[in-house]
Amino acid sequence: MNRESMFKILGCIGAIALAIAVPLLLSSIYWTSVLTMIVINSLMAASLRTILTIGEFSLGHVGFMCLGAYASALLTMKAGLPFGLTLPVAGLMSGLVAFVLGYPFMRVKGIYFAILTLVTSESFRLLAFNWRNLTGGIDGLIGFPGAGVLSIPGLGQVDFDGFTEYYYLALAVVSASLFILYRLEKSKLGFTWLAIRDADKMAGAVGVNVLRYKVIAFSIACFFAGIGGGLFAHFERALGPYPTASFGIITTLYLLTYMVVGGKGKFAGPIMGAIVLSLVYEFARPVEEYQPMIIGAIAIVMVMIIPEGLVSIPERIRKWRSGILD
Amino acid sequence: MDISAQVFWQGFLNGLALGWIYVLMALGLTLIFGIMHIMQFAHGEIYMLGAYAAYYLTASLKLPLFMATSLSMLVMAMVGLILERFLFRPFKEDWVSAVIAAVGLSLILQSGAIAMFGLHHRNLPVLAEGPFNIIGSIIVPKDRIAAVVVALFLSLALYLFLKATRYGQAMVASAQSPDGAILQGIGPNKMAALSMGIGCALAAAGGVLAGSLFQMGPFMGTLSLVKGLLIIVIGGMGSLPGAFIAGMSLGLIDGLFPILFGHAWASMSPLFFVIVVLIIKPQGLFGHE
Repeated sequence: MNRESMFKILGCIGAIALAIAVPLLLSSIYWTSVLTMIVINSLMAASLRTILTIGEFSLGHVGFMCLGAYASALLTMKAGLPFGLTLPVAGLMSGLVAFVLGYPFMRVKGIYFAILTLVTSESFRLLAFNWRNLTGGIDGLIGFPGAGVLSIPGLGQVDFDGFTEYYYLALAVVSASLFILYRLEKSKLGFTWLAIRDADKMAGAVGVNVLRYKVIAFSIACFFAGIGGGLFAHFERALGPYPTASFGIITTLYLLTYMVVGGKGKFAGPIMGAIVLSLVYEFARPVEEYQPMIIGAIAIVMVMIIPEGLVSIPERIRKWRSGILD
Repeated sequence: MDISAQVFWQGFLNGLALGWIYVLMALGLTLIFGIMHIMQFAHGEIYMLGAYAAYYLTASLKLPLFMATSLSMLVMAMVGLILERFLFRPFKEDWVSAVIAAVGLSLILQSGAIAMFGLHHRNLPVLAEGPFNIIGSIIVPKDRIAAVVVALFLSLALYLFLKATRYGQAMVASAQSPDGAILQGIGPNKMAALSMGIGCALAAAGGVLAGSLFQMGPFMGTLSLVKGLLIIVIGGMGSLPGAFIAGMSLGLIDGLFPILFGHAWASMSPLFFVIVVLIIKPQGLFGHE
């Protein structure tokens, strides 16, 4: 094992230990709920980056989050299913819809694909807005149960309705999801995606089914967006399809800035971006109407100064120092 | 479903007017994308600011709407020039960074608008009072017709500019082959500035029309941006006839489908429409490789 991968593993263990310890140290419901949102945002931003590994840019990730959120909420409410079942179903539903949409969408590239995903997310939001008797329409969906009591192997029956318990549940689900995403990226599948990103015609020429692999990447990313949506739904306990609320275009814009400010080149980038920018957003709460403005200004300054994002800072410092020393 | 002819007719006219507003958005976006190769995410905010500029010009300076619209288009064109020079020019090579810069700009302008103008909806003065009466009971509100005429005039002006003037031809050349255009002495930065200026002026005009026919608020730009972008995909990038047909279809979907099939189906129809177009012709109805 070389030094770099040692650092990586230590970094992961440190981050998880920190994530476990922080709510205990702060012991405030407000900060625990902020942390829960950060954890969900990390998953959303990291899965958004999965689409970027095939060289495409999605502006509709929040649409699949919306789909997952409504699916999980409605299944617990109308069918009475437990959260342990509705969460994977929410993910599967988003993934399946992405799979079906992926075939026509992946016939176009770049900006056209981005536009199509944007239209998809707005259509899903408008559907939630207008399908009154299913989604509650403009009044939103309220009164669906929280995560409730789940049986966890080794821990027995745990009630996840409390804020702290729910935070740990979200942390566990997101950590597992991030691990899967990371392993997928380092697997043969991930290298195929990179080959398609760098030279799709070449990949096609050596026998890779480019369309199918692209659709797979899109579906996997949207599966995790659905999981993120399910986690979000039972955390908020209320869903609203307003254009300015969580499922509006503004969330898409935030997810994009998380990804790019953190650094789109590395797996840790979007997670870092989600953590840092969510904290900035929280600290800017006293000047609520300027929150988007602050995030937007940070995004512009970052792409102007450090387009590779926050994760590239250590490397930059190393280069700069070695430049001085040489 | 039983709907009266009058309701249907109103939906049709609203759809027609909306379609033309979307076309104005799409023309600006396609111009900017064709020459600068960036997705101007903040175009919806330019549209919104154009409407507010006209609102303040009519409300505080008591200018007539026609003059306020022209001034607002001029102001937004200047804003476009400034944005091109100081925000987008540094990102010419990197389209992801350019999208993020546009996203950041959109966030800044939107929250700035909320802070400055407040969240409540406002109304611009109406374009024209009263209806026309043609053939018995069919009534055509004059303001819808006026909006269509204004948008048609602006689109035709753009078409003639691109077809028949030196600068227009230079822009077309720059869009078709940037390197070839440079060899002919057409500066890409000048063309980029021109496209941003014209695009933003068209967006401002669209915003004023929308604010006058319907309502205006800080979030009015988002939906029109989505529709404008969708028109580009459906009609094919850089195709004016494609933009007209796609714009009319989307406008009529918005105007008629909620009446005919209910809101839930109407909200999904643009998506179904674009999927069908993609399956038949991935490069758009009038697009070419």
